[in-house]
Amino acid sequence: MTPPARLARSARLPGRSLRRSLLRLFTVQGSWNYERMQGIGMGVAEEPLLRDLQATGNGAAYRAAVARGARFFNAHPYLCGLAVGAAARAEHEGATPEQVERLRTALCGPLGSLGDRLVWVGWLPFTSGLALIGVALGVGLGAVGGFLVVYNAGHVALRWWALRAGWAYGVRVAVALHEPLLRRASAWSGPAMALVVGAALPLVAEYFAGTLAGWARGVLVAATIAGFALLWWRRGKLTGLRFGLALLAVAALAGWVWR
Amino acid sequence: MSLELQLLLLVWGTLVGLDLVSVPQMMIARPVVAGPIAGAMLGDITTGLQLGVLFELFQYDVLPVGAARYPEYGPATVAAVAAAHAAPGTLGIGIGAVVGLMTALLGGSSMHLWRRLNARSVHAAEGELEAGDTRTLVRLHVLGIARDALRAAVVTAAGLALAQLARTFLAGQLTVRGVTLLGVAAVAAAIAAGTAGTLRVVGRGATLRWFAAGVMGGTMLAWLR
Repeated sequence: MTPPARLARSARLPGRSLRRSLLRLFTVQGSWNYERMQGIGMGVAEEPLLRDLQATGNGAAYRAAVARGARFFNAHPYLCGLAVGAAARAEHEGATPEQVERLRTALCGPLGSLGDRLVWVGWLPFTSGLALIGVALGVGLGAVGGFLVVYNAGHVALRWWALRAGWAYGVRVAVALHEPLLRRASAWSGPAMALVVGAALPLVAEYFAGTLAGWARGVLVAATIAGFALLWWRRGKLTGLRFGLALLAVAALAGWVWR
Repeated sequence: MSLELQLLLLVWGTLVGLDLVSVPQMMIARPVVAGPIAGAMLGDITTGLQLGVLFELFQYDVLPVGAARYPEYGPATVAAVAAAHAAPGTLGIGIGAVVGLMTALLGGSSMHLWRRLNARSVHAAEGELEAGDTRTLVRLHVLGIARDALRAAVVTAAGLALAQLARTFLAGQLTVRGVTLLGVAAVAAAIAAGTAGTLRVVGRGATLRWFAAGVMGGTMLAWLR
């Protein structure tokens, strides 16, 4: 059976449970902690998909599955659904506890790196860069609204796909990670982000510099170049925030001296 | 600023802080959203947009992965807009940046504390969790979200208090030249942080050429305008 057909068939089975699980996945990091990381949120999201086990009179299997679902897990939050669906499907198909544990452990790394590449350093800076360009070009609140709509269209679609694919493939969930669309998106997200953010930077600089006097523009250019060089040279040690606070302190002092 | 407006900003800052990690991560926590909405609440969208763009650039310096510790720019932007509102233009940007960066630092530390408190609760309920007790599981999760809401509210409140102090004591002390320097420093730091953060992600491969093409295109567009 082809993957889309599998997805369609599986979605009909526990539709209400999947929707409930999806809603809970939006809170998956609500109890993030250093002990189990996303584990508690994962357990909460998986629980609606495990209720069938209880309904069949197998309360012990249900409780054991809930306990496994809440153990340590760490991946990209938007792709957690893939692990939730796959683990729940494996529990329904009678996989051994060791198999379920191995499945969850095996998914942490790939889902984390794929999500980071696809969303945190791809889709998110790409759409926010477009918003910055929009604001710099005078679109105003429309650019902000556009960002929210476009970004979240991708966000919600990814969460829904992940949960359904996880449920559809079960222990064979690795197949879902090789879907052509996902691979193409992953390959293009980096260059697209680089192009858009690259274009946004000079436009934003012009947006701010437009209100400044001649001497202040000179200071802005010099301070930006020096700041970039310092941040690049001290990367990993000096953050943008600390540099910003230090530069503001220097500026306040200079302004106080140069009255 | 009236008490009603302060409360409105507090609610907005809390929602923004909650969105960053807990619920629902739809990116209202991004400064480019948090700032203009705060500005609209104050009837000053221009200042909201300016500070939203400024802190969005700082945000590019942050990669929110796993257990990484990073500043929280959402509630910080709300506080920054509150500080800048009474002093628009370059003065607003400078004072807003001071307040915002300090609030972001506080927000980052508060998230570390939140994670530790959650870990303590989870550790205390280890037995029930391993027994598959659904009620304990849900209780811990809801408690975590409630704690995060409280954390976000406290950070926003501290930021708004800082904004009040900055408006009262800092604004009157600065000369026009000092004010301009503060604004220039804020913008320079933001562009430098945004560029360095993006280039760290871009690396040296083919993606760097896309970045260079973007910079050239953006520069041409800025020059033509």
